[in-house]
Amino acid sequence: MEKEDIIIIDHLFKEFSGKKHVIAVNDISFRVEKGEIFGLLGPNGAGKSTLIRILTTLISPTSGKAVVNSFDVVTHPEEIRRIIGVCPQNSTLDLELTAYDNLEFFGKLTDVPEAELHLRIYKLLAMAGLTDRAQMPVSTLSGGMRRKLEIVRAFIHSPLILFLDEPTIGLDPESRREVWHQINELNDEETTIILTTHYMDEAEKLCNRVAFVDKGVLISLDTPENLKHSLSMGDIIDIGVDDYDDIFVKSLAVIRGIDSIEQKNHRILVSTREGTRILPHLLARFEEAGVRMISISIRAPSLEDVFISLTGRNFGADAESAPGNPGRRR
Amino acid sequence: MILRAAIAIFRRDFKKFLSNPFAILMTLFMPIMYLVIFGNAMGGTISHIPVGIVQDTPYIEYTPLFDSVEHTLRYWNSSKSSRIIELTVFPDEQTAKNVLNNGKIDGVIIIPSEISKTGEVRLYEDSSEYVIPGMIESALSAAVAMAGSKNPVHIEKIYGDIDYIQFFGVGVIVMAIFMTTMMGGGIALIRDREMGIIEGYLVTPVKRSSIILGMIGSGTVRAFLAGSIIFFVALLLTGIDIRSPSSYLLVFLVIAVSSLGITSLMVSFASRFSNQQEYAASSAFINLLLFMTSGAFYPIQGMPDWLRWLTVVNPEAYAVHSLRSIILRGQGLDIIGVDLLALGIFTAFTITLGISTYRRTLE
Repeated sequence: MEKEDIIIIDHLFKEFSGKKHVIAVNDISFRVEKGEIFGLLGPNGAGKSTLIRILTTLISPTSGKAVVNSFDVVTHPEEIRRIIGVCPQNSTLDLELTAYDNLEFFGKLTDVPEAELHLRIYKLLAMAGLTDRAQMPVSTLSGGMRRKLEIVRAFIHSPLILFLDEPTIGLDPESRREVWHQINELNDEETTIILTTHYMDEAEKLCNRVAFVDKGVLISLDTPENLKHSLSMGDIIDIGVDDYDDIFVKSLAVIRGIDSIEQKNHRILVSTREGTRILPHLLARFEEAGVRMISISIRAPSLEDVFISLTGRNFGADAESAPGNPGRRR
Repeated sequence: MILRAAIAIFRRDFKKFLSNPFAILMTLFMPIMYLVIFGNAMGGTISHIPVGIVQDTPYIEYTPLFDSVEHTLRYWNSSKSSRIIELTVFPDEQTAKNVLNNGKIDGVIIIPSEISKTGEVRLYEDSSEYVIPGMIESALSAAVAMAGSKNPVHIEKIYGDIDYIQFFGVGVIVMAIFMTTMMGGGIALIRDREMGIIEGYLVTPVKRSSIILGMIGSGTVRAFLAGSIIFFVALLLTGIDIRSPSSYLLVFLVIAVSSLGITSLMVSFASRFSNQQEYAASSAFINLLLFMTSGAFYPIQGMPDWLRWLTVVNPEAYAVHSLRSIILRGQGLDIIGVDLLALGIFTAFTITLGISTYRRTLE
């Protein structure tokens, strides 16, 4: 059976005029199916948050159409607000209020029935592991605790669609895993989840489908698996070395079956379609030349590799080398 | 090293200052406003004081004294040639006193009949006003003297002796309300916008009207408490004596309605701002403007005409007038009804404005 589309975006544009003219969303079209976890992936300033803000009725598109659960964002924002839960990128908790009060405030704004509200709040606090902090001002909570509180707040009213803008930013690995667990649990309850992230592993672990966005343009959209398969490269052999020279690296390229060799900070990255067959040959060359290996690993390409191959840029490098994309709030 | 850091701090602060032209404008605008408004609202020559004059019975024709005094007062001009006294002739003493009690005129002069034994010229004056009673008194004495008459002038202060501190004490209640709205008012709305907290609740189904009404409600309660506390403090400090328990109830009613009106104004004003500094400067400006022209410091009659129109749309002027009516003159709903009505209209207007101008998006 064909799955129902819960979000339809059609040739969406968003321009910000002002001191600096920016096209934050440039002709993006895609659909999100009901019940899936949909990832929006891209570097900082790619337009992910702008897209989320349009879908959550915070800003209006310059042109194009966006429909959420059959409601148009421009003409029926109120209907949309009733069925969505949002965890924005920047904290929107009231620091002066307690954790409990923050949840209560939102429970009332989202019209959670009074009789259920108290229990619901404690259930969410337990989910976030904050039961013992319920009556403490949010200003006394750590960054990770605040983030978790903000995420559970987003679904206090059990929304049909949940928007999570960089949900795990700044969290330690354990907290991230907890958040992932929460997201999966919610998804089991048929909640559609739209997630933005610039962590590749997060998108890979959670999302049914991933949309790559860069500079406001949709570059690619598919399941994480298909995206990886679409790459010509098969495996990557990653060798950490202590001391070597260019001549040695060039000598490696002679081995048949190697597609490309890349070197960066004492690492040699070998792309090949047949990792296991090539590896003994590689090792033999290292042996001959007497180059000492510190580490060695064979891995399938990650989404990060996919991104690099699609944009020709590195995620991390982009953040520093793209002054043209200021973080724009409001 | 110290100097280098100090210069860095200086530059940072100065850049912020320059990047906010509104604040620069306000720092210059405020003193100018003080000069123009404060200078004109306070200590201006009081003119157009409404006074009634009555020829005491029995009489067939107006006495010569009446004609003379009436003529003198009617054409009593200040140096700027605006009339100091607006004289109305009343047919009998009772009518004139009723009008005086209603606060429509500030004094009633009774010219004795020719058969009066004492020949006393009586003056009933609204002693709850500042400066005005004295002006009527001196004008009358001068007019009687100019008529060449030796008749004594008897003065009766209908509200007893009222000091300036009592006159001003009432205005301070309104000041408490406006200070609260200035500090609280809509600033939380703007802080939410500035800190991004707003993004959290704008995506909920909450309506603009809920946001505005909630803010106004909280601000009104705070302003009401502040106003009530200052009311009691003012009673203690100024020794005002309130005549009846129902007056207390009326005072609380007026404080509540005024708090609502002034808070609504400030909150609806705040709904258009996204910068705390700009809001603080503008709200201080508006509030001072309203307070100065409210008659709290100095009688409204002392203002030039171009400034006096402001009192017609100034909620604080209605608040000061109704509080003064109750507290100093012991008047009731019949007198302050108009003030309450005006405050009500004002409140309804500002709430509507606040709701309709509130930005329900981030843009």
